[in-house]
Amino acid sequence: MGLQDRLSRELVAAWAIAKKDVAIYYLRPGTIVGGVLFPLFMFLAFSAGKLAAPSALIPGLIGITTLFSASSIEPVSIPIERRTDTFDRLLSAPISLNALVLGESLSGFLYSVGIASIVFVAALLILRTPLVSIVPLVLGILLSSFVFATMGTLFAAYPTESPGDIISMVNLVRFPLIFISGVFIPLASLPPIGQMIAFISPLTYANDLIDSAYTGITHFNPFVDVAMLLVFILIFQFVANQLYKRFND
Amino acid sequence: MEAIEVSHLVKQFGSLTAVNDISFSVAVGETFGFLGPNGAGKTTTIRILTGISPPTSGTATIFGHDIVRETVAARQSMGIVSETSNVYTDLTGWQNMMFSAQLYRVGRSERDKNATELLKRFELYERRDDHVHGFSKGMRRRLTLAMGLVNSPRLLFLDEPTSGLDVQSNLIIRDVISDLIQRGVTVFLTTHNIEEANVLCDRVAIIDKGLIAAIDAPEQLKKTIQSVQSIEVSFDSSSPTRLGELRRIPMVNEARKEGDKFRLFTEDPSEVIDGVMAYAHSRNTRVISITTLGPSLEDVFVKLTGLQRTGGGVTAID
Repeated sequence: MGLQDRLSRELVAAWAIAKKDVAIYYLRPGTIVGGVLFPLFMFLAFSAGKLAAPSALIPGLIGITTLFSASSIEPVSIPIERRTDTFDRLLSAPISLNALVLGESLSGFLYSVGIASIVFVAALLILRTPLVSIVPLVLGILLSSFVFATMGTLFAAYPTESPGDIISMVNLVRFPLIFISGVFIPLASLPPIGQMIAFISPLTYANDLIDSAYTGITHFNPFVDVAMLLVFILIFQFVANQLYKRFND
Repeated sequence: MEAIEVSHLVKQFGSLTAVNDISFSVAVGETFGFLGPNGAGKTTTIRILTGISPPTSGTATIFGHDIVRETVAARQSMGIVSETSNVYTDLTGWQNMMFSAQLYRVGRSERDKNATELLKRFELYERRDDHVHGFSKGMRRRLTLAMGLVNSPRLLFLDEPTSGLDVQSNLIIRDVISDLIQRGVTVFLTTHNIEEANVLCDRVAIIDKGLIAAIDAPEQLKKTIQSVQSIEVSFDSSSPTRLGELRRIPMVNEARKEGDKFRLFTEDPSEVIDGVMAYAHSRNTRVISITTLGPSLEDVFVKLTGLQRTGGGVTAID
């Protein structure tokens, strides 16, 4: 089997897994609460006490929307599939673990891109939020959606049949990320230790990239943001692959 | 080249050895039964052979492909029907078939053709657009089997295919399995239904506590325990004390009531027949039928696995 044929086979299978997740899990209560309502309430909570116009908070809202929505599908779908033994169907299919992880992450990615796009369009039409450049926004939404979807798949490797177990673990990471990534508290206002921690948060780079689309200003270089998000995708994909291998033993 | 070649396979979970140095092979086109009590290592072996779980040591190849190093190639020629009906209940029957076909990269036209044929064969075609959560247990089982066949596998793993099913589903599934066997598909069957294995399998392996206790053709295995013969007898009247009285006939090792008949295990059938006739005469009852039976595959299974017979079946010894 040639490399091209193998790659094509893996992508077809990954896409099939993603389509299956879209059909089954997008309207699950856990997905809607974690992926849509959480970021909305977070936004309202932060915007209510601020003097800044809601439009100034839109980049942050898009950032946390991608974080929550992208990482909300797999923590629900994979434990349910373990419970119903359908996950064994994926594990025994003629595909690599990389394709399985990719397929699972794709559904979270698509979900996140859809929700973030709605936020973007609503901000544009309702709040008339001005946009400096659309390229960093598109890159920011696409890359951060993929990073956080892969992060959700990574956490879902933990061998439990209860979605609540995974969601609790993911929230342990998601909530602190909001406060250390410059979303609502600017990076410059963080103490030195906070700024150091911010460097290891993918949301920092996602937020910086999305923010630059609206303000034209970046804390890092946009190329650094893109490069760091790609590095996070590779790291999460690799670690997820290793964890699924280990937990299947 | 064998369809399955297993060599010194070991699987340990911490201090527990679930599979302990087993070796066997399954020829192309053979129907191979894998029998054993609960916890014997059947499912662990299947998980290793299908590449879900890696072995601790030893090797397994599928049509020459090492299941650990060439997992994808080895799986491509397999169909897997797991013990539970692992279908997506939120999808329709047709969507389940399409999803399974896409995982195995079956081309679009072949996918549609195979799915249509299989759903018709399993009498699910009329319900193909219904969500599976409305399907009965038997229908889900049939769909699971149809999904396992959608890629036209050369080797089919069947884990308890007919366990606890209604008569209609049972008949359809057995009919399909017989057809696959006729067409030369290699079948690896695990089942609790020993008679099913006896009828379908060319050879069976009996696994117990992670070790293979015996491996041979069902008839050859039966020959190894010719001492376990039995007499099946029925009388024209019933008596609550009959079972106990029959047990006291000389040379009867064990007696069981099976419906309106009694089964008496012995190493000397002719002696027991004389004893039964004498017993009937002394109780003023008539013998309606009396038959000498050789050992069944279940007798072999019981003997090799150390299980104990109870009233209607067998029970594991803890």
